Amino acid sequence: MKSALALRQTAEEEAARLPALLARAEKLAGTVLLGEHGRRRAGLGDDFWQYRPLQQGDSLRSIDWRRSARSDGQFVREHEWQIAQSVIVWLDQGASMRFASSKDLPTKADRARLLTLAASILLVRGGERVGLTGWTLPPRRGNEQILRLAEAFTTDSTEDYAEPEARGMLPHARAMFISDFLADLAPVEAALTKAADRGVRGVLLQVLDPTEEAFPFHGRTIFESVGKSMAHETLKADDMRGRYLARLAERKARLEQLCRVTGWQYNCHHTNTSAQSALLWVYRAMDGGHG
Amino acid sequence: MTLFGALGFSAPWLLLGLFALPILWLILRAVPPAPIRRLFPGVILLRGLKDDEQVSDRTPWWLLLLRMLAVAAVIVALAGPVLNPRNESEAAGTAPLMVLMDASWASAADWRARQEAIEALLTRAGRDNRPVAMVRLTDPEEPRFQAADVWRSRLPGILPEPWEPQAAQTARLMSVLPDSAFDTYWLSDGLARDTRAGLLEALENRGRVTVFESPRSLYAIEPARFSDGNVALSLRRLRPGPETEVSVVAQGLDPAGNPATLARVPVTFAADAVTGETELSLPAELRARVTRFEVEGQRSAGAVTLPDDSLRRREVALIAGNENREGLELLSPLYYLTRALEPNADLLDGVLLDILPANPDVIILADVATLGPAEEQATMEWVEKGGMLLRFAGPRLAASDVSRDSEDPLMPVRLRAGGRTVGGAMSWGEPKSLAAFSPESPFFGLDIPPDVTVTAQVMAQPDPNLADRVVAQLDDGTPLVTRKRIGQGQVVLFHVTANAEWSALPLSGLFVQMLERLAVSSTPTQPEAADLEGTVWQPEVVLDAFGSPRDAGNLPGVDGALLAGDPLGPDLRPGLYQGEDRSLARNVVTSETELTAVNWPDRIVVEGLSRPQETPLAGWLLALAIAMLLADVIASLALSGRLRGARPATALIAALMFASLYPHTLQAQGSASSDAFAIAATAEVTLAHVITGDAQLDDLAHAGLVGLSETLFFRTSVEPSDPMGVNLETDELAFFPLLYWPVTPSQPTPSDAAYAKLNTYLRSGGMILFDTRDADVASFGTSSVNGRKLQQLAAPLDIPPLEPIPADHVLTRTFYLLQDFPGRYDARDVWVEAAPPDAELIDGMPFRNLNDNVTPVVIGGNDWAAAWAMDERGNPLAPVGRGFSGERQREIAYRFGVNLVMHVLTGNYKSDQVHVPALLDRLGQ
Repeated sequence: MKSALALRQTAEEEAARLPALLARAEKLAGTVLLGEHGRRRAGLGDDFWQYRPLQQGDSLRSIDWRRSARSDGQFVREHEWQIAQSVIVWLDQGASMRFASSKDLPTKADRARLLTLAASILLVRGGERVGLTGWTLPPRRGNEQILRLAEAFTTDSTEDYAEPEARGMLPHARAMFISDFLADLAPVEAALTKAADRGVRGVLLQVLDPTEEAFPFHGRTIFESVGKSMAHETLKADDMRGRYLARLAERKARLEQLCRVTGWQYNCHHTNTSAQSALLWVYRAMDGGHG
Repeated sequence: MTLFGALGFSAPWLLLGLFALPILWLILRAVPPAPIRRLFPGVILLRGLKDDEQVSDRTPWWLLLLRMLAVAAVIVALAGPVLNPRNESEAAGTAPLMVLMDASWASAADWRARQEAIEALLTRAGRDNRPVAMVRLTDPEEPRFQAADVWRSRLPGILPEPWEPQAAQTARLMSVLPDSAFDTYWLSDGLARDTRAGLLEALENRGRVTVFESPRSLYAIEPARFSDGNVALSLRRLRPGPETEVSVVAQGLDPAGNPATLARVPVTFAADAVTGETELSLPAELRARVTRFEVEGQRSAGAVTLPDDSLRRREVALIAGNENREGLELLSPLYYLTRALEPNADLLDGVLLDILPANPDVIILADVATLGPAEEQATMEWVEKGGMLLRFAGPRLAASDVSRDSEDPLMPVRLRAGGRTVGGAMSWGEPKSLAAFSPESPFFGLDIPPDVTVTAQVMAQPDPNLADRVVAQLDDGTPLVTRKRIGQGQVVLFHVTANAEWSALPLSGLFVQMLERLAVSSTPTQPEAADLEGTVWQPEVVLDAFGSPRDAGNLPGVDGALLAGDPLGPDLRPGLYQGEDRSLARNVVTSETELTAVNWPDRIVVEGLSRPQETPLAGWLLALAIAMLLADVIASLALSGRLRGARPATALIAALMFASLYPHTLQAQGSASSDAFAIAATAEVTLAHVITGDAQLDDLAHAGLVGLSETLFFRTSVEPSDPMGVNLETDELAFFPLLYWPVTPSQPTPSDAAYAKLNTYLRSGGMILFDTRDADVASFGTSSVNGRKLQQLAAPLDIPPLEPIPADHVLTRTFYLLQDFPGRYDARDVWVEAAPPDAELIDGMPFRNLNDNVTPVVIGGNDWAAAWAMDERGNPLAPVGRGFSGERQREIAYRFGVNLVMHVLTGNYKSDQVHVPALLDRLGQ
């Protein structure tokens, strides 16, 4: 288990490789919690906001001389703070995620946490608010929130296959669900339907280990889930492969179809491929998606 | 013992156990492997699936095969297999046995092995009560059949001879062979000879013939030749084989007179070649000391060659009375001498007194009449020590009074005034020709061409001792060549000129032969029998068959004609023969010697000297079985997926095996830490700070550089790796673009070697940022503790003149546009290399044209590292200023760091005037 700090550090490195992400401000009014529609305050932005008189602590170099020369006082030029959006995240913390087929590969949980946090950092950098679904960690902005998110992502859940948390969805926010989606699909379906009802759109990222995709087993085998709650014995694992792969494909198709219906975007990521490509996909999906 | 080819079994019935293997195969196939437990989250998708058939996977066929082979190996091993078991029945018989040895030089190389073979044979013959006779073909005697034990006691005394059996010897043996039946055991030396076939037939008429031959390759060396200033050596071998390299050693005497190895040269036989050649370049002095060349590791006379005078090029000094440079070349007194001597002597040219210390073998004075007293005395001493003075007459000598009244010490005879001329336009008589050489003359035996005539000569006074001194005369009895011995040396006078003016002698081949006989020059080739007619040569050193030199003792002298032409034998042993003035070598192998392997008829049994060893195989087979069972264990584990836990153990075992096989590789890696340092420092751009010894300060400097590296990483295309601390005494500096050197009063002053390294670093484009960290209390001009320490530290450094950083310095615009350079403190005193005094400010330009180098030092006291320092989370470590303006100052400090690194890495790129318009635009002017 990585510590929260180490996780954040790797995630920062991951995030540093992409330009800051500005999620599309789609439903502007609905997402602003405090009613600050318009963001009429000074901040990080390109557009001119206002001149204000020089105050103690301001550097002399920040004085706008052109404006100050027109009057007796000294003035400082300020820019408008641009609008931010809320993004809510659900990360699967179930035991099934804590699996890696080989020593050289990260566990699915590791990879999912890294991707989620990297995406969160990008979003926070772009001025967005990021939080968790449910009531534990509402969307906020700032570096402090990233640390809180990192902490939240490093708690392990004991159940074998976790169900998505669909409560506390802000209307018209963006959402990000990251899991292996091996559990029962009914709760996922319910969560997505609920989200669609509230105008929440987002991305569904399925993280799978390469062995789950290939099923490279032979001979007499007893398969056990990571939490040991489930076991299955077979005498000829090779014979199972076809049927297993068919079921997996069916599950993927079902997820994809669900996304299509609710206006979400679906992608499947394997832990033996680069995290960067997955992050790029999330970035594209959050920034330039249809939602 | 049951035999299958070369394989025998002590318990062959056990092999029937092999028939049980197919049954075992069926049994093993039926047993299924144990189930494997695997973690697999996808198990949820498997729920409810049923196996199609209730038969488990069988063990894979290759694993079964492995087990079968292991069991088969055990069964075969228990049956007691033996490779090459001794067959007692061979070479048996009851007839008398004759052991016939070629006993030539070619069998000397492995004589000991032959002796052992004979000994074994004698033992067996003794057991069978067979009478044995032993005959050497090189020295045949009548075969006497005696008890084997008698011969065994005499065996050590039977040795090979250094020559090859000749037709006469073979014929003699055939004449003394008894008529009764006997078997023959022929130890052949492997060389083909014409006489073999007849002898073989004669022997086969009397009984069975078995031939023993050594499979070893036989090496022989031809006499060393002199070619193009080098010694050419050519080697041969009997049988073509793979590429082989042998060494040839030149043995001789060292300057102290002790035997020593003077040179060693490898000779490579190309694959399938039977000859190998090389050239050995030796200085003349060393070459003259070589007494023998031998093939290293070959104890045979054929692998030794003795060089005679042919390698010893004599040093001959040529001095003429009148060096008429403008005359015709053919009239030069030295022309014919030079042409005659050049091919096989080293010629010296110069003044007599300069030449004498070089101690030449021969000095030739062509028509030199008088010598100065000093010259005469030195020459006399030289002649007495063995030098040879060869004088030629000429007009000057004839006109001078030298040796007129009394005999000159350096002349063999007294001369009459004027000399004589015969056969010319103003004289009577015919030109004179040469008389035949007398037997006492060194020229005895040389043919005199009829066209050699003499038209003029100097005349010897008829003194009582004249007759002894004449070595050649004309047909009217007047002396032509006279000789006198002085001490160990001699003086020889040719009564004619050295050119064709007085006689036709220098034009003839006789002239060259006479010079050779006088040992003025050495013969380049082996002499013909005719050349040596009438000479007697005394053996000095002779070789035995093993190639060892033996003192010739009282061996009789050999006639020259025999020496040149006869094959080697008991009367003409290989060795070095001394003639009157030179030595001649007879070597076993010459360039005409043919080395060809014998082609025995098919009916003859040919055996090698070494027979294959009897090898029991049971142990090897059992080891193989165990190895296969081990492999089975690993393979079974791998199949059932249980190898994962065992992997570290297998890796450890493999590593141990590897380590035991290659112990040196592990040792070699011990001294690689400096390489690791270099690789770490150069893999990426790396900032470095000087280790001051103050742990707190060093940590802060490191954290500062970490902060600067992070800043660079996020803001620029410079992506430094982790900064490093540098020990000035031990670490290489050249890897680092920038050294941050915080100054503290307690740090030690670097050593001279470290300063040398620092100066090299500064001259080759490195930059040191000195930080006195006291800008809060000291500004430039006021002396502080750190400032004084800085002066002390920097005094031995090669630092150019400095100036406070000017407003148009390139540091102000390498990345960010900066006007001041704060760290934790914000003092303006930052010093850089002074701009050249001729730097001009061009009208309309914001800065001067300063295309100079990167400044080698930046000196300031703003404690930059403290401002840059950040921990792993990016939090600043040291406070800077107060509130927002403090953060602003820290930001500017970072920008200064970025500018500094950019300046080091890009030099004066931004000072280039090309960028002026863009910079003007950004400056808003």
